[in-house]
Amino acid sequence: MADTTIPGIKPLGKEKFWLGILLTPTVIGLVFGVLGSIVATIVLSFVQWDLIQPPTWVGFQNFIDLFTNTKFIKAMTTTITFAGLYVPGVVVISLFVALLMNRKIRGISIFRTIYFLPGVTSAVATAIVWNMIYGRDTGILNYIIEFFGGQPVCWLCNENALIAVVIVNIWGAIGEGMIIFLAGLQSVPRDYYEAATVDGAGNIQKFFHITLPLITPAIFFQTLITTINAFQAYEYVYMLTRRAGGESSVPVVVYSIYRNAFNYFNYGGASAQAIELAFIVIILMALYFWFERRFVVYD
Amino acid sequence: MKKQYLYVLLIGALLLSACGAKAPAEGVTEITVMQWGSPEELTVWQTITEEFQKVNPNIKVNVEVSDWDTYWTKVDTLFAAQTPPDIFAIDAPFYIDWQSRGALLNLQPYIDQTPGFLDGLYPKSLEVYHLDDGYYGLPRDFQTIVLFYNKDMFDAAGLEYPNDSWTYDDLRTAAKALTLDKDGDGKTDQYGFNYDTWDLEPGWGEVIWSYGGEIVSDDYTKTLLGEPKAMAGWQLLYDMMMVDKSIPDPIAAGEFGSDPFLAGIAAMTPMGHWAVPEYSTGGFNMDVAPLPKGPAGDRFTSVNSAGFVIAKDSKAPDAAWEFIKYATSEDAQKKLTELGFAIPVYQKVAESDVFLKQAAPINHQVFLDAIEYAKIKPSFKGYTEWSDVVGNALALIWSGEISLEEGIAALVVEADAVLNK
Repeated sequence: MADTTIPGIKPLGKEKFWLGILLTPTVIGLVFGVLGSIVATIVLSFVQWDLIQPPTWVGFQNFIDLFTNTKFIKAMTTTITFAGLYVPGVVVISLFVALLMNRKIRGISIFRTIYFLPGVTSAVATAIVWNMIYGRDTGILNYIIEFFGGQPVCWLCNENALIAVVIVNIWGAIGEGMIIFLAGLQSVPRDYYEAATVDGAGNIQKFFHITLPLITPAIFFQTLITTINAFQAYEYVYMLTRRAGGESSVPVVVYSIYRNAFNYFNYGGASAQAIELAFIVIILMALYFWFERRFVVYD
Repeated sequence: MKKQYLYVLLIGALLLSACGAKAPAEGVTEITVMQWGSPEELTVWQTITEEFQKVNPNIKVNVEVSDWDTYWTKVDTLFAAQTPPDIFAIDAPFYIDWQSRGALLNLQPYIDQTPGFLDGLYPKSLEVYHLDDGYYGLPRDFQTIVLFYNKDMFDAAGLEYPNDSWTYDDLRTAAKALTLDKDGDGKTDQYGFNYDTWDLEPGWGEVIWSYGGEIVSDDYTKTLLGEPKAMAGWQLLYDMMMVDKSIPDPIAAGEFGSDPFLAGIAAMTPMGHWAVPEYSTGGFNMDVAPLPKGPAGDRFTSVNSAGFVIAKDSKAPDAAWEFIKYATSEDAQKKLTELGFAIPVYQKVAESDVFLKQAAPINHQVFLDAIEYAKIKPSFKGYTEWSDVVGNALALIWSGEISLEEGIAALVVEADAVLNK
């Protein structure tokens, strides 16, 4: 890696001392909180433990069991399908919104704020509002459909629920994606466009030949973050599809991990699920970085 | 430079003070009692605790109350940290799960030292806690399931109120008559009946029993919900929801905040006494009747209790026992009854005006009569996971994705897999 340290920021004598003091709490937190729990999860995935009785070593049995655990397989399928719909949805739509928002018009900051609002609103509260929209008998969406003579749809019923939930999650993520893309768009030098205009390029040509190649770093970053979020998505999904008894009609892996650990006293199995989930995300990340080396343009 | 060291000292002092622990006063034993419940329940338990501390000045009780979901996460975490609460409340179906893991203290030696201690308590409420080598927990209060009905809806329809001669066929007929589309827009505005489609109590468990069916085998290795008699019970619930449409399906019920009876859009519901305070705020007149009889003339309901257990690793088991003893005493049971949620396990209190003449103007005697024909809600190892598998399988039937026969067949396979883990 190239040395990009700017001389003025390099800590000197006395500053080094303070750097150490001020970073200590964070470092302690990281070592014990994050690193510690990663190590603990790996160890736990090889044992059978219910918190009270001493753990027993079971080797890879927890991982082998996952292949026959129908509930886990369903949760994993749901999570992967969810990610498959959610990631492209968020990237494409938030890029589109960013393009709309990347212009000098009166009140643009108000529009940008509106798009960003879902990101700073309580997920539970917004999920309740979406429940009112999606409701089969009392929902606003069906009221509109019926007003125009259509047949009411059960949005949160089994075959539609996943799509309905993906839509809400995309809606909630547009704001943050827009910020990333706006930053990317604003770093594209204006004279490139002026040169293209002189050469007689249209808007669409400019987008595909100038904008898109130059914001590949932003697209890469956004895809990466969105993928990680997709595998961790939980609040909206649960709030919209929960059943009595704490289960959900759109089960996701994160929730399955929680249920196994805290409700079924199965800490080993829960840890194995967590590691399998992390493993899938790591493979995806490796793929992304491979793509990055080939297609992402840094100037 | 000097100033720098001062800062370091300050930061160090802050860190140290954060780690410091309080030393308990000499001669006083501190115990922690954890429960799930509402803020009102916390207030009542604090009064009970104050009374207890007056009698036992050497014991200091810290009561902690949290809502149901966070409660179990908290208890789990405290056990993992090997600092379990001395006493914690337990729902009877989870009792075996905890006991079988060696987490609970055997209370039998204490009970033996207190002759006649169990005499005042309802025998049926004790059954579930009694194991081969004694009691590992004791009930605090309990619940029977009866039929709640909305008197206003019956009056408006000109129907007779439910009574103790009703069969489930009578219930079905009345429910059908009480299912109305008041504004003629093709959508049901009032349902005849509603029950929680998820758990066996309150709702489908009582129906299965009344139809002569069983839920699990006595040794808890087989789910019996697919046997012919149980299927007859399922068929009734299925026909009421799918054919008569007198029971809202879970999606419709969910749009009314999950309890259509409370929302004033369902005329009848099987429910326990815990719902009385909330239902009293519903703005309708209600009363209760016994659950209907099954086709063979048998009547069954379920009884379930909440109890107290002592952690095996409690540092102060003697003090904890004193508290449990007090919690089942007449004084404490009276205060608990005044909350209006549950039936006290202390029989004399239950049969006194404290329980029977509560503020809610319903026939509280029905709940006590139900004890006689009640079966105990099953409690076995892995109950939570079994209950989730059953609930998920049922959800597919009620959403219309799968037929009743196929759904129950799949349910039995999945549920048995959990039982035989």
